[in-house]
Amino acid sequence: MSFLAPLFLLGVAAVAWPILFHLIRRTSRERVTFSSLMFLSPTPPRVTRRSRLENIFLLILRCLVLGLLAFGFARPFLRKPIVASPDAKTVRQLILLLDTSASMRRQNLWAAARAKAEEVLNKVSPADRVAVFAFDRQLRTLFSFEQWNTMAAGERVSLAIQRLGELSPGWSSTYLGQALTAAAETFEDVPPEEGSAQRQIVMVSDLQEGSHLDGLQGFEWPRGVEVVIEQIKGKKTTNAGLQLVTDLEDSVPATNELGPRIRISNAADSKREEFKVRWAGASESAPLDLYVPPGQSRTVSAPPLPATGTNHHLLLLGDDDEFDNTAYYVPPKAEEVRVLYLGSEAENDHVQPLYYLKRAFQTTRRQAVQLLLRRPDAALSTNEAAAVHLMIVADPLSEQPLQAAREFLAARKTVLVVMKNISITQTIAQLTGVAGVGAEEIAGERYTMFGEVKFDHPLFAPFADPRFSDFTKIHFWKHRRIAVDQIPGARVLARLDNGNPALIEASVGHGSLLVLCAGWQPADSQLALSSKFVPLLYSLLELSGSLKPQRSQFIVGDEISLAATNRAPSITVRKPDGALVELAASSRFSQTDLPGVYAITSVQPPLQVAVNLDPSESKTSPLAVEELERLGLPLKKEVPKQTSRQSEKKRQHLLATELENRQRLWRWFLLAAFGVVILETWIAALLTRRATTQVEPT
Amino acid sequence: MLNLDSMRGPDALETKSASFINPQALMAIRNLELRARVVVEGFLNGMHRSPYHGFSVEFTEYRQYSPGDDPRYLDWRLYARTDRYYIKKFEDETNLRCHLLVDNSRSMSYGSLPYSKAIYANTLAATLAYFLYLQGDAIGLLTFDAQVREYLPARNRTGHLRHLMLALEKPPEGTATDLSAPLKRAAEVLRKRGLLVLITDLLAPIETLEKNLTLLTASGHEVEVFQTLDPTELNFRFEKAVLFHDIESGRDLYVDPAAARKHYLQKMETHNTAAKAICQKLGIGYSCVPTDRPMELALFDFLRERMHRGKKIKRAERA
Repeated sequence: MSFLAPLFLLGVAAVAWPILFHLIRRTSRERVTFSSLMFLSPTPPRVTRRSRLENIFLLILRCLVLGLLAFGFARPFLRKPIVASPDAKTVRQLILLLDTSASMRRQNLWAAARAKAEEVLNKVSPADRVAVFAFDRQLRTLFSFEQWNTMAAGERVSLAIQRLGELSPGWSSTYLGQALTAAAETFEDVPPEEGSAQRQIVMVSDLQEGSHLDGLQGFEWPRGVEVVIEQIKGKKTTNAGLQLVTDLEDSVPATNELGPRIRISNAADSKREEFKVRWAGASESAPLDLYVPPGQSRTVSAPPLPATGTNHHLLLLGDDDEFDNTAYYVPPKAEEVRVLYLGSEAENDHVQPLYYLKRAFQTTRRQAVQLLLRRPDAALSTNEAAAVHLMIVADPLSEQPLQAAREFLAARKTVLVVMKNISITQTIAQLTGVAGVGAEEIAGERYTMFGEVKFDHPLFAPFADPRFSDFTKIHFWKHRRIAVDQIPGARVLARLDNGNPALIEASVGHGSLLVLCAGWQPADSQLALSSKFVPLLYSLLELSGSLKPQRSQFIVGDEISLAATNRAPSITVRKPDGALVELAASSRFSQTDLPGVYAITSVQPPLQVAVNLDPSESKTSPLAVEELERLGLPLKKEVPKQTSRQSEKKRQHLLATELENRQRLWRWFLLAAFGVVILETWIAALLTRRATTQVEPT
Repeated sequence: MLNLDSMRGPDALETKSASFINPQALMAIRNLELRARVVVEGFLNGMHRSPYHGFSVEFTEYRQYSPGDDPRYLDWRLYARTDRYYIKKFEDETNLRCHLLVDNSRSMSYGSLPYSKAIYANTLAATLAYFLYLQGDAIGLLTFDAQVREYLPARNRTGHLRHLMLALEKPPEGTATDLSAPLKRAAEVLRKRGLLVLITDLLAPIETLEKNLTLLTASGHEVEVFQTLDPTELNFRFEKAVLFHDIESGRDLYVDPAAARKHYLQKMETHNTAAKAICQKLGIGYSCVPTDRPMELALFDFLRERMHRGKKIKRAERA
């Protein structure tokens, strides 16, 4: 039995009154005047058997009346099972997104996030469909909708929680936007349940400021999806991050006197401002003292690289959260690029191409181009040729170097033939394997210039930008017209304005043969003196595969392209934790899941790659949820718990009122109370009458 | 004159009590004077043995003359017959100066009988006054509760009795019974020696009683105490456990008589015994008069006490 107004039940306490009256009456009803009480002492109340027997029944009746009245006023009703309305049945499709980025390693964030995730899972009703994903840089499925469906209802939650237990935060950056959109798209693959419209994404994350929100702006959210954000907030402690600043390619390489440039950024909610930076294992050297106010960053040169050791990493001291205090550094090595020039020119002859070529190649941080000179008739061994990256032929070759050049081409390499004069056509014919190539010297009064350049070719691709695509400043005084159609597989990469080819590419063997139909020396053209000459040469080096697009700094989760590393059949990569990964040649290494130095051991010399934490992970101050809302995230309208509880209470109350109205049990209680009152009155009257009749005879 | 000796002894009391007027019937008479007159019916003349020896018609004894005796008392006739000197002693009859001290406190208004203790006490006082008046004694009245309320000096004038009766008819007004102040006041007012009859229920702390009575006896007064008590005060015959209301203080007390009776009686007994002992010690006549006791017996008690005292004095003098 339930009560609509249970407070009235307090009225039951009123039964104390009859009992009290009963007691009081026993002592005070009869009063006798006496001359003096000086010889009397109070008698403690003594309940005689007679009075108890005589009054107890009336007492019970009176108590009963009060009790019945109290119960009646409390408006009792019998609660019947409520038949749920059909529209109340909602089956939720729920995706639980758990942040496993590096910033979750802070303090006890991970434990809190797991607890929150478990709480969400425990609240799931058996009818709900749930998928659990973890995300950092990528979205990983822990528990898909299909798995959920196939599992027995009782085991789902426990298994999901078990899988959560196996999870731990990684080192990747937070791609929040990507994860959310991917999760939302997951709903699209799931057929909607009948009677279900509620699709919910519950995201458990620290919502750090450095989260990547790309993709959220303008994302078309599926209808009916709402996002619940469970933000895990850590204690406010100092968090500063240490990052390496990428140096320009051609800047001065880090020397022993000056370390690499680093940036220390301090989170906005940090409490400390003073930090130290030193190399790991170089404890004897004085650390670098830094003052970084909260919310700001400083870029400085790191202390000089220690002379010993290979695995260099910088440590940031004085920070509370350790996860982003290490920066791994691999000192860049200048790569040696060997260019073989086959020509009979003197090095200092400034009317010859060599003079300009030699000055075009400068040693930079990344590569040191070594120009090897050979006379066209000098002997050239195959091994010697194999060590060369690019071959430039300026004069007709004798038989032996010609053979070496053929083998060079066969080894997927590039040979550039500069047509200083038409005598070299013989060599071109020999290299391309045709009987002869027709050519003639063109030298008019009027200069020519580049008329058509194929910017889609890798060689000219760097010039594709309109800012750099102007080749008209390069005038050609002289050039040689070559019969392109006589060279098999040849195509013109650039033409002069008179229609003659300027640069021809022909595939020979597996390599490529490039023929420049004019020299770059000032006697022939202005090419060597133009701003395009050096970039073009480097583009050529890149095309020949001599320049590898080498990066020695990666962030966790980046793919390391090994295609250009070497041509070995398989590549072995040693991860920072010592694990060895075997990879097929020309593939990409994507298991950069740990920060540290990765060693590619199968190449000579072994290549080292430093993988560091994403600098954005260091921005740990919490992101405002409003920011997400601004990006169009369909956040669940947070109904205050109290309000929802109140509305639920209200509903219950309405239901109870209706039930009570229907049953109206209170009438029976009041009727019973009335009956008892009559009975009590009758009995009391009877007793009084009997007492009077007993008294009268005395 | 009433032969008191014939009534002496319990047997005599028993035989006589049957012929006494029922106090209830007596109290039915509304007029106080009439009630007193009814009681005193048989006592036409007051008989007081005077403690003073002197010339009197009533001879008591002879004593051999010894030098220093007053020669006026020599019995010359006996000397003539016997040739010896004898001193003739007489019982002196003299007029008595009597003051009635009547307690009018609220406790006196209690009564389980149709009349209260106050009515009984007033009747007793009136009876004594009437009796003494008839004898020609001077009677005074002093009513009191916690202090003196009414004071009439001792007179034997015509109409004085009437005044006295009127004063006695006033209902009790006072609250507490406190004998200290009134008795002290009485000792101050009543300078001339005489008889003081104190009619009270003595329902007051006993501690100061001795001191106050000593005040009176020290002034040379003869004191008689009548303690009027209701029969229920003596036997505490209540049945039901009820709230007892103190008539004086207005205090209520829940008392179960069955449980409290023994203790009450014991305390009452102790109180009365102590009062009696104090009276004995001070040579004060004490008699306890329950209100159902016939008035005549009270009067008789009074006279017997007086006579007894007279003899005792005589014996003492002889010794």
